[in-house]
Amino acid sequence: MKKTKVLIISLMLMAMIIGFAQAQITGQDVMENVYNRPTGPDIQSTLTMTLTNSRGSTRVREIKQFIKQFGEDEKKVMFFVAPSDVKNTSFMSWSYGDGQDDDMWIYLPALKKTKRISSSSKSDYFMGSDFTYDDLGERHPSMDTHKILREETVNGEDCYVVESVSKDSDYFYARTITWVVKDEWFGMKREFYDEDDEFLKILTINEYKKVNGYWVIPEMEMYNEQKDHTTLMQLDDIKIGDGIKDSQFTERMMERGIR
Amino acid sequence: MNNKKLLVLSWLAILLIVIFTGVFITAMKSNTRMETDLDKYMPQKHPAFIYSNDAEDLFGIKDGIIVAIENKDGIYNEDTLQKIKDITKEIQSMEGIEKSDVTSLYTADNIIGSEYGMEVNAFYKRVPTSEAKLQQLRDDVKANDMIYGRLVSLNEKVTIIIAEINDDTFTDDFYNQILVLGESYEGPETIYVAGSPIVEGTLAKLAPADMKRMAPLVVAIIIIVLLLILRSFKGTILNLLVVLLSTVWTFGLMAVLNIPIYSVSTMIPVMLIAIGVAYGIHLFSHLELYMQKNPDTAKVDALKNMMKHMWKPVVMTAITTAVGFTSLVTSEVYPVKYFGLFTAFGVMSALFFALILIPAGLMIFGLPKPKQFKSKKTKSGNFAYKAADLIVKKKKITILVSVFVIAVSLFGISRVWINSSFLANFEDDSAIVKTDRFINENFAGTSSLNIVLEADENDVFKTPEALKLVDSLQNDLESLEMVGDSFSLADFIRRMNKVMNEDREDFNTIPDSTEMIAQYLLLYEMSGDPENLTSVVDYDYKTLNLTTQMKSDDSRTIKGAIKVIEGYRDDFKELGIDINFAGTGYKGLVFTDLILKGQISSLVLSIFIVIILVSFMFKNFYIGLIASIPILITTLVNFGAMGLLNVALGPTTALISSIAVGIGIDYAIHFIDRYKEYSKETGDKNETAKLTMYNTGRAILFNAVVVIAGFLVLLFSMFPPNRQLGALVSLNMFSSFAGTLTIMFLLLYLSNIYFKNGKKNPKGEK
Repeated sequence: MKKTKVLIISLMLMAMIIGFAQAQITGQDVMENVYNRPTGPDIQSTLTMTLTNSRGSTRVREIKQFIKQFGEDEKKVMFFVAPSDVKNTSFMSWSYGDGQDDDMWIYLPALKKTKRISSSSKSDYFMGSDFTYDDLGERHPSMDTHKILREETVNGEDCYVVESVSKDSDYFYARTITWVVKDEWFGMKREFYDEDDEFLKILTINEYKKVNGYWVIPEMEMYNEQKDHTTLMQLDDIKIGDGIKDSQFTERMMERGIR
Repeated sequence: MNNKKLLVLSWLAILLIVIFTGVFITAMKSNTRMETDLDKYMPQKHPAFIYSNDAEDLFGIKDGIIVAIENKDGIYNEDTLQKIKDITKEIQSMEGIEKSDVTSLYTADNIIGSEYGMEVNAFYKRVPTSEAKLQQLRDDVKANDMIYGRLVSLNEKVTIIIAEINDDTFTDDFYNQILVLGESYEGPETIYVAGSPIVEGTLAKLAPADMKRMAPLVVAIIIIVLLLILRSFKGTILNLLVVLLSTVWTFGLMAVLNIPIYSVSTMIPVMLIAIGVAYGIHLFSHLELYMQKNPDTAKVDALKNMMKHMWKPVVMTAITTAVGFTSLVTSEVYPVKYFGLFTAFGVMSALFFALILIPAGLMIFGLPKPKQFKSKKTKSGNFAYKAADLIVKKKKITILVSVFVIAVSLFGISRVWINSSFLANFEDDSAIVKTDRFINENFAGTSSLNIVLEADENDVFKTPEALKLVDSLQNDLESLEMVGDSFSLADFIRRMNKVMNEDREDFNTIPDSTEMIAQYLLLYEMSGDPENLTSVVDYDYKTLNLTTQMKSDDSRTIKGAIKVIEGYRDDFKELGIDINFAGTGYKGLVFTDLILKGQISSLVLSIFIVIILVSFMFKNFYIGLIASIPILITTLVNFGAMGLLNVALGPTTALISSIAVGIGIDYAIHFIDRYKEYSKETGDKNETAKLTMYNTGRAILFNAVVVIAGFLVLLFSMFPPNRQLGALVSLNMFSSFAGTLTIMFLLLYLSNIYFKNGKKNPKGEK
């Protein structure tokens, strides 16, 4: 009897503690959960990137991409499929968990040479899109101060609305606001405010699904309001955990191209 | 009885005039505004402007403010570099400025080739302090010809910050703010602020300020000369009121109709002074002569006589002048249309005041006191008679001189050139011209011309053929003395090609394959700032923007460049590429051309109108032809003198020739009308000539002297355009005067029109 009582009390206490903890989840926790959400050991897909400028002109690029985790590091290689004048141009980047600068290479088939290129700033836009290199990578949660503003339902999902203010006042986003899906820990929507704290752009997720038990985003759209410029990113043929050979991430493979 | 009635009517007229004037003044007070936005002046529907505006929007072509920082000991030191950074950041934070529109050594990209690839870096973010780092920066700049000579001068003592601004950003406040900003960073470095928005801003401030100073002087001189000529205080006041009230009514009407004052509208009072003064002078001149003949006449009789003889020619001159000015509505430029219409209105109101206010005023306040100038009369009479005699006797000389003047004028006209330059409006040693010169000496140039190449299909500007042609065009352009630099997509591709090939100079070329170019562009997008490309090529690689930097904004320079470009038209055509132009400088050129075309067609039109109207008025076609002579001569001499004296045609100088329409017609009609009257009176040709010369010639001379004296004051203006205005108005008055009293008079005399049986007339021609 006593044992049962103790058990019940401890269970109740535990529930209370958990409930308390649950109620007390902080912005920091949310963003750490997002950062630590497993993304799978490797992913390959076909990326179609559609850029639309303020005049309604578009540029469409089709890219075959391979990404693999190497512990804390991530290696990525991309092959251009279209337009035809850049076909088989390839791009490789290695990013490091310890914060050192990314290594990047590009192979130009017309030049028949692989060249190292440098990205001096994470604030550079990736290939003329509305995504900076930083937007595409993962920003460590310790670099911002996070606060849960409120909870909201987006696309039928309960979300935490987290405001992240940069600790570095020189950072190109003064703050971002992210709608994070509860318990799944992926972002559904994000607003970006520039250095002067003026609204800059908004990222929206058009489609999300689980592949092999991992959340992936097959379609998302970034709209830069200041430039009236949109980037649509669509992923097809997504394969996760299919196993990509380490040798895929070498200059030799870059130069070989796909098929 | 009759007298009393007239007196009441006179008071009534004056009361009405006062009421209307009050209404107009109230309207002006609440509703007058200056239009300073130059784009509002341009005909927005003109294809050249539509194209240019569209291209400006597509490529973000904007006028740039240039802030130059000079350090005589070189810019590569901590303090100067800090200033570059601070000024850049401060301008970036100014209201209405987009961050990415500010370019300086601090914001510029450094594309460098290293042995293993390509890097795009900033030149510096934190200001370098160590000697080694400063030296490194210096070497980096020297090695990058997209920066060296463009942002940093070759002698390393000057660097510039370029801030591109939207048209609507530039306000008075902004202008002051940027000047204050420049000043606050002075010492030991010298800070210069230049660029076309600054030039336009200074001009917009200086021109009205100078006019405010000079206009009272002009009016004062006119008052003095009127007093001397009319020898009557009342006469002077009434004459002046005609001019002033017609000006007030004109600008009042503009305010009522909510039409802003454009810079060319400042020519309206100039026209109204020249023309309005004439009406009064002719009336007074007639009155005075009548009173000399009939010293004991009653006030009413004198006035009646004046009105009886003068209403017709004054009405005729005013109507013809007004119709002449109305012909300016054919201009494609709205401010010029308004100028024409409102001057016409002003002329009609001057007519109204001359015919109502002057007699009413004299009715109420009495005639000017009869003067004792018996001796004078004979003297001036003698002079006029002698002049008439001389012109008739030495008709060959008169004709020869006229032909000579016309020939010289035609030669001068062949040398007339159009200038839409804003800088040309300033003194050669003014601060703004000196700054401009300083920057042009050290950098590519303060003025720009954009060449927009448009292909008939996408991706043409990834092809080597197209880019090589662009490159070749750039080479030819840069070989021009006044072209400092040119910049296009071709420069990016050449630099990338060089950098990707171990920085070898022999690869500083356009590669031979479309794939190579496409891949370089992709590479640039990945590692550089793709924003930079949006200003040189459109999204579809179908439209390309080639920017040319020039050391002067005058039209000769722009036209010189355009000539070289036109030489490439056929070559581009073969590739399916069309050439167009864009930018403020080009628009200014088109605009000035339009104004000039409008002015010339209006002048031609008004000559026809005069011929027709005068032919009808006098029921004689030859009279119409003869009456057009003063306008022709005045116009020819005006443009001829401009050519000979190297005064360029600009928006305002072109309009000065409108005086020919206003004054030339007046003189011709007054003279012919009087000539006709005297011919009836005397039936003697020589007597008619002498009397006309004495009566009308005198009035014409007075009018010319008053206006010339007034406007010559402008020669002492601090502001060159106002000096030109003064000189040209005076010249026009003089040639109208001389043309009417010499060659027109002679041709009228020789035509025998009012002496059908001239040959039978014993007192006829000798």
